[in-house]
Amino acid sequence: MANEPLIPSVRDIAKNAETLSPIDLKRIVPLPPPYDKDDPAEMWKEISAEKRSQIDASLDGVSALALKRPTGPAEEKRLLDGLKAGLAKLLSSDDNWTFRQQLELTLDHCTHCQTCAEACPIFVESGHNEVYRPSYRADVLRGLLARYGPGGNPIKAALQGSPELNWNTFARLAELAYRCTLCRRCCQACPIGVDNGLITHELRKLYSQELGIAAREAHTDGSVLQLKVGSSTGMSPAVVKDNIEFIDEEMSEKVGFTVKTPWDVEGADVLLMHNAGEIMAWPENPGAFAVIMQQAGISWTLSSEMVAYDAINYGLWYDDVQFARVALRHAEIAKKLKVKKIIIGECGHAHKALSVVADRILLGEANVPRESFAPFLASIVDSGVLKLDPSRNDFPVTLHDPCNIARAMGIVEPPRRILHKIAPRFREMTPHGVDNYCCGGGSGFAIMSGNNFANWRTLVSGRIKMKQILDAFAGELDPSIPKYLCTPCSNCKGQFRDLIRAYNAFERSKIQYGGLVELIVNAMADVKPGFLEWEFH
Amino acid sequence: MGFVAIWAYVTLAVFVVGCLYKAIKYATMPMHLRWELYPVAHEKGKVEYGGSYFEEVDWWTKPREVSKLGEFKTIAEEVLTLKQVHERNPGLWLPSLMFHYGLYVLFTLGVLLVVGAVPGVRGLPGLARLGGGRVLMALAAFGLTLATLGCVGLLARRLSRADLRRSSTPADFLHLWMLLAVFLASWASFFWADRHLAVAASFVQGLVTFRPVAGLPGWFGAEVVLLGIFLAYLPWSHMTHFFAKYFTWHSVRWDDAPNMFGKTYEQRVKKLLMRPISWSAPHIKGDGRKTWADVATKGGDS
Repeated sequence: MANEPLIPSVRDIAKNAETLSPIDLKRIVPLPPPYDKDDPAEMWKEISAEKRSQIDASLDGVSALALKRPTGPAEEKRLLDGLKAGLAKLLSSDDNWTFRQQLELTLDHCTHCQTCAEACPIFVESGHNEVYRPSYRADVLRGLLARYGPGGNPIKAALQGSPELNWNTFARLAELAYRCTLCRRCCQACPIGVDNGLITHELRKLYSQELGIAAREAHTDGSVLQLKVGSSTGMSPAVVKDNIEFIDEEMSEKVGFTVKTPWDVEGADVLLMHNAGEIMAWPENPGAFAVIMQQAGISWTLSSEMVAYDAINYGLWYDDVQFARVALRHAEIAKKLKVKKIIIGECGHAHKALSVVADRILLGEANVPRESFAPFLASIVDSGVLKLDPSRNDFPVTLHDPCNIARAMGIVEPPRRILHKIAPRFREMTPHGVDNYCCGGGSGFAIMSGNNFANWRTLVSGRIKMKQILDAFAGELDPSIPKYLCTPCSNCKGQFRDLIRAYNAFERSKIQYGGLVELIVNAMADVKPGFLEWEFH
Repeated sequence: MGFVAIWAYVTLAVFVVGCLYKAIKYATMPMHLRWELYPVAHEKGKVEYGGSYFEEVDWWTKPREVSKLGEFKTIAEEVLTLKQVHERNPGLWLPSLMFHYGLYVLFTLGVLLVVGAVPGVRGLPGLARLGGGRVLMALAAFGLTLATLGCVGLLARRLSRADLRRSSTPADFLHLWMLLAVFLASWASFFWADRHLAVAASFVQGLVTFRPVAGLPGWFGAEVVLLGIFLAYLPWSHMTHFFAKYFTWHSVRWDDAPNMFGKTYEQRVKKLLMRPISWSAPHIKGDGRKTWADVATKGGDS
């Protein structure tokens, strides 16, 4: 029956099949009118047969990694042996001291009660595609460990229902590690505390750290480029200074007074670290930060040192070593500048990377205090130093809580405190705060668009978020009413740009997206009216 | 000493040693990187909405308020009401609740039998002699009823609900079948051999005093043998979640202690950074001699 869900078992991951569990567009979550009339098939793109003969898309017809088939048996053996070696290293207190305890607790204690399943937006959005079930990829890993890992044996393998390790398993598991946004709603739901999001993280690490297999956008074009030239955007220190100078000029013109961004000020109170993608794609964001800092009289600076002008740390998503390299650079530069604290700009994963995950590896004076932009800005707004006119934001506003800021750091109230003061028509999404849904672009997905991955992001991983946005603006979807989706995270913004474009939601409903600082500056009484531009970009 | 008593000693020893081994293994693993998840139950005044100390400006200058009571309340609520299952997986909640409460009651019964068997316990005048008492019988019947119904319910759900059936491993079914066998043997013993638990009480007393009783009824022997198999198996299964939850929650989800305040972290991390690394990818080239400190401070740009 065409409408029956596809139900591959864990063992089936090794089977020969052109596509193990294809996306069934008839089953994806419906959207409210008028978006219910859209045909998802028109937004979908199949990978051509020719392309599929070169790369593996046999999991679900999607390719995030463009994994090339092995050139022969020797190459295949090398890869499979590498995966087996990586399994052992995941359980080693030398190679994986960073996450071994969490990993083993999760590997050892899932009861398969499926309490987590409905918490997973991707599993739900896909119409319950079995391979997206949070426990599925974890059970493939458990099965491989029971059969091929340290102490693995036939009895363990039989009890676990272990799959065979062959090229199918290898390639599909690699792709499967890129069908979860690491939002960790599943872990929140688990009565035992099992963390299937962590399994995704560890699988990505295994492939990257042992075999050098990772998403190109996160590794080669991401952390490697950042360490090599200073930023994953490719901007060198000279270029970033030029760009900020240009932004200052633009801002000065827009707000009606001179805006000047300070560089490399030793002993400043605040070192502000932006996701450098903002400078390239959304310059109004660093510009708005500069306006607020200046008007609030903050002693602040940016750093033009390599790596420090880009707060991103993509290693967070796939590689502990790359993660550590970037985090240590960030901290060392803050130490060198002798700043009192680092304020992390509107970038969710940079928050979690530098504030939480890196916390215990920052030693001595490199352990410069890190703070989120959210409480920092809330304190500025609370202080009354900025003259704010909320009537300038008299349009519907809703807030997307970035997972890495809300669920991973518990920062929920400060952005709301600000919005209640500057946005009279603010309304919540459902659910929100620590229960929010991921934008669908988390864990690096927003920067990944190869093959048909961008289609998968908009039709599957981001669809529930699209529904949430439309529901938040229910009754006001008419394009004559401008609406603002406040999303204080660069990665999420990239995803929303693609979502709004894919669903044509700017033309149909005039839904604009942007950060929190832009909304604050738009409400500043001493700024020329009309800071926000209602043009989609 | 009869086979049943030897079996009981051996399997209990395996159970205790196995659980201790696993608990010590988790407890002595290296300090991990932070990986907390909100809501964190001890965040005083913020747990209701999932807030944290990161919401404060200059949070490192302010005293942290950690509520142990908050952690206790959250764990107690989860253990006593299976809150997450109730809210997110309601079809599984009732059988799961009955099953767990059945185990709690049977565990209490076991504790009473052991306590009552200890020579010279004052205030508990020989619970072994209460073998004919109604309390033990009622506890056994009540606990077994809940546990058996819960176990059957969980098996039925796992077999009848397609998603559960598909995602269950052979081990998941094995656990439930093993438990059902234990419960059925216990019922047989209850009805046909030891209605008032006099045999159980004297058997436990014999184990505690190292003077095992002989001549046990067959059904009671079967109950002990099956229970022994289950107990010896348990530490090697996911059923150790009854104590592992402490680690998953307290040591991972709620471990938000910042480095600023933990004076011991620095020394511990320095040692961890000197551990060898052997990951083989080209951007690491770990050879088992290089340390984490070596690879984290250079490279990664090609």
